[in-house]
Amino acid sequence: MKFTYSNNLQRSLIRPDGVDKVTGKLKFLTDLSFPNMLHGKILRSAYPHAKIISISTKKAEELPGVRAVITSKDVPGLNRFGLIFPDQPVLCDERVRYVGDAVAAVAAETEEIAEKALQLIEVEYEPLPVIDDPEQALLPSAPRLHPDGNILHQASYQKGNVEEAFQTCDVIVEETYELPRQMHAYMETEGGVIVPEKDGRITVYVGTQHGYKDRFQLARILNVPESKIRVVSSPIGGSFGGKDELNIQPYGALLAIKTGCPVKIHQSRRESVRSGLKRHPMKITMKTGASRNGKILAHQVRIIADTGAYATLGPAVLDFAVEHATGPYIIPNVHVEGLSVYTNNGVAGEFRGFGGNQVTFALEGQIDRLAVKLGICPMELRKRNLRKADDLGPVGQEIAPTDGAAQVLKAISQSPLLNKKESIEWGEGTDRWKKTGIGVAIAMHGGGLGYGRLDPAGGRLSLNEDGKIEIAFGFEEFGQGLLFVIEQLVIKEIGCSANDIKITIGDTDRVPRSGSSTASRGTSMVWHALQRMKDPFKKRLLEKASQCTGVPATQLYLGPIGIWSCGLNSEPLITYQQIAHETKDDPIQIETEFHFPTTPHSIPGGHYLYSFAACAVKVEVDELTGIVRVKNLEQAVAAGPVIYPTGYLGQIEGGSVMALGYTLLEEAIMEKGKYVTENFDSYLIPTINDIPHSMDITAIEELYEGDPYGPRGVGEIGTVAVAPAIAKAIYDAIGLWVTKLPVSREEIVKAVNQREMREWLTTKL
Amino acid sequence: MVDNKIVGKAKPPLEEKIKISLIVNEQAKELFVDATMRLVDILREELQLTGTKVSCGIGRCGACSVIMDGKLVNSCLVRAYQSDQKEIITIEGLGRNGLHPIQKAFLEEGGFQCGYCTPGMIMAVKSIFDQYANPTAEQILEGLSGNLCRCTGYGGIIRAIQKLAQL
Repeated sequence: MKFTYSNNLQRSLIRPDGVDKVTGKLKFLTDLSFPNMLHGKILRSAYPHAKIISISTKKAEELPGVRAVITSKDVPGLNRFGLIFPDQPVLCDERVRYVGDAVAAVAAETEEIAEKALQLIEVEYEPLPVIDDPEQALLPSAPRLHPDGNILHQASYQKGNVEEAFQTCDVIVEETYELPRQMHAYMETEGGVIVPEKDGRITVYVGTQHGYKDRFQLARILNVPESKIRVVSSPIGGSFGGKDELNIQPYGALLAIKTGCPVKIHQSRRESVRSGLKRHPMKITMKTGASRNGKILAHQVRIIADTGAYATLGPAVLDFAVEHATGPYIIPNVHVEGLSVYTNNGVAGEFRGFGGNQVTFALEGQIDRLAVKLGICPMELRKRNLRKADDLGPVGQEIAPTDGAAQVLKAISQSPLLNKKESIEWGEGTDRWKKTGIGVAIAMHGGGLGYGRLDPAGGRLSLNEDGKIEIAFGFEEFGQGLLFVIEQLVIKEIGCSANDIKITIGDTDRVPRSGSSTASRGTSMVWHALQRMKDPFKKRLLEKASQCTGVPATQLYLGPIGIWSCGLNSEPLITYQQIAHETKDDPIQIETEFHFPTTPHSIPGGHYLYSFAACAVKVEVDELTGIVRVKNLEQAVAAGPVIYPTGYLGQIEGGSVMALGYTLLEEAIMEKGKYVTENFDSYLIPTINDIPHSMDITAIEELYEGDPYGPRGVGEIGTVAVAPAIAKAIYDAIGLWVTKLPVSREEIVKAVNQREMREWLTTKL
Repeated sequence: MVDNKIVGKAKPPLEEKIKISLIVNEQAKELFVDATMRLVDILREELQLTGTKVSCGIGRCGACSVIMDGKLVNSCLVRAYQSDQKEIITIEGLGRNGLHPIQKAFLEEGGFQCGYCTPGMIMAVKSIFDQYANPTAEQILEGLSGNLCRCTGYGGIIRAIQKLAQL
């Protein structure tokens, strides 16, 4: 057995948070404790759908050690939250709509007492019919989960006339794909400490992807001005989209204010599974037709997304899926219709890939099926229908010209995996029950929030009083390596050394507004902010240095430790510290505010900047057990220049393995609105034994000629093309078209049985 | 209708406290704790060693891995009475005189991202190298099969180990 994890990325220096992470010194927010700290626990609904008749907290309050019990009556402001519109009760009063709904919360001297107190809260429910299927939710007879009914959001896109075009097609493929409810499974469950301060403010030490947004939502709930709340939100033990929405913050804050003590809440894994967001389960039907020569003429798509009990980012996820339903292909006749539907299932929301994973699985499945029917090589079929650099975007909007699609397709076509001869190394033929297959898929993924959405960015660059070049962003570090990206970009653009830099993030009292750390926008927005800030910042520093030293600014430049004069010198002319001293009364500070680049066309959610990936895999299917193993995986990614090679590689490898889990292992199963998989004993994420024995990652850094937009983020793109590539490889190995994820071992064994039986019948009888 | 499962178990938690002696990172500790307190809570709450993490709480993820009497254990599954007279090494016990080679390899090869699984993962790697001077790929896979990482896809972790073991 040999592992190879090769890449064209030169590995790099050590990330700023690295030493503290490998030594265990780094304090995650769930590691914090404060004097007089209490422990909080949240009572979640006993039913997926019920009326609340009464809640009695008397017995719980009487338990020694209990300091506060709160219910909906204790919410002073809006008893609702939600990133797009607030429809989720902080504490339910009349009705519960899923098993993660909060009914009450307790603060006690120990976690055990708080747990015990939860058992003493008497909630009388009247169970209501459970809607556990989105199609059932659409029936006229279904109970209405929200005042406006059970449809959260509808989105569509249409061009040409699909009905007429299907008449002219030589080949049509129609299929329904089912995608599972995937759990983010960040290793650090939701938690942190909320501290009431002496000045009447509160500090919320809880991870999130957007501190200012949490502050806004909390102010609305607590009915206090935003200025009374400080949100400290980094470092975070993983998020993947799952911690963008509020989770335990409101309960911790309400309990801290009520008791006047710091309150810590750290959800157990079970509590996290029960209340946390998931990826939207989707059922996607696609009908795709092509001419004999492999020109795709018509593409009809219907998407039903199970958004669960509340909205959170459900509408935006559906818009994204609709937008990406044609991916990187130019199809003249398209009709996409999407519905996001409320049910009593777990709440689905933001998750790495944002609806693109589901729809790309279906789209690439269609392309592969068409290729087989047409007898055209699937790579060739893709090529014949691929977008060109200056084509419009997938929903007819103007986008930044990009030939990323062609770049990744070309790169992956050179993969040794596609050359059967070279790829035979895993002992094919040694076991007659093991069959291998190869699959390739490609993906296109929009960055930023899209047209018509508030997507502001910004940053601040200053020389602080300690003489450090301080760069501040409202972004968060949840593992992706943003701190390193910031450090490296400052070194490159300013010219100083790592020791001269202080990075400030994740604290609403100290950072400017930069928007959210989502949608693959962090790296991109840091780069954009620095392009705007670097010249005015350098100019002011040089002017001051010139003023202090008498040397003309034109002969000075910024370097390590301070300002240097041109020519051979062993030390700077003046240090940053000295300049900071000189500018004490008028500190040098540059701020910038701008908007993520968007398409000029008014298509809600339509994107402007896209990245691309192509994935090739080789799988081995065990026909006796139905076990599928991904032996080799390659990805080529086109997302502009690489800032942090180790981080880039980690995003694509990590994204690949997360997607491998999505394809082969992971499903947060619900039965009648209750989770069956409650922890890592039944919800299986990939272990080190499940990963490919080789992963090859290629970064294509070259942007389209004249592209001024710099590096794109790669947080999501590595997760998108993997599932359809694996599905195609399974077909290649055993002739089964998988339509439902995660791939069922039973289905494989059954398919093999039927095939062998057919073969036996035809040859023996 | 009242949910009977939730109502009516009104007993305050009663625990028998016991005295335990253990050696943590070469320092002798005497503690008076609940007999069933989890070792991970003893480390995190009684000794303020928060490098050891909790993630699943049922011994499936390895975030709480520590070495007890030379063996890798999930400290969420070890109770106070079971840790009496034991010698424990946590992440804080590694590299107290400069970084341990495993820590250095993780840093250089991108063996972590968010860092939450990292202390447990590094203890598991240490346990492998404690057992085998030149571990095989199979021994590495076996040795790390109880430690979940959601960020890296294990690529950087394997590169770090390859660097250490010259696989």
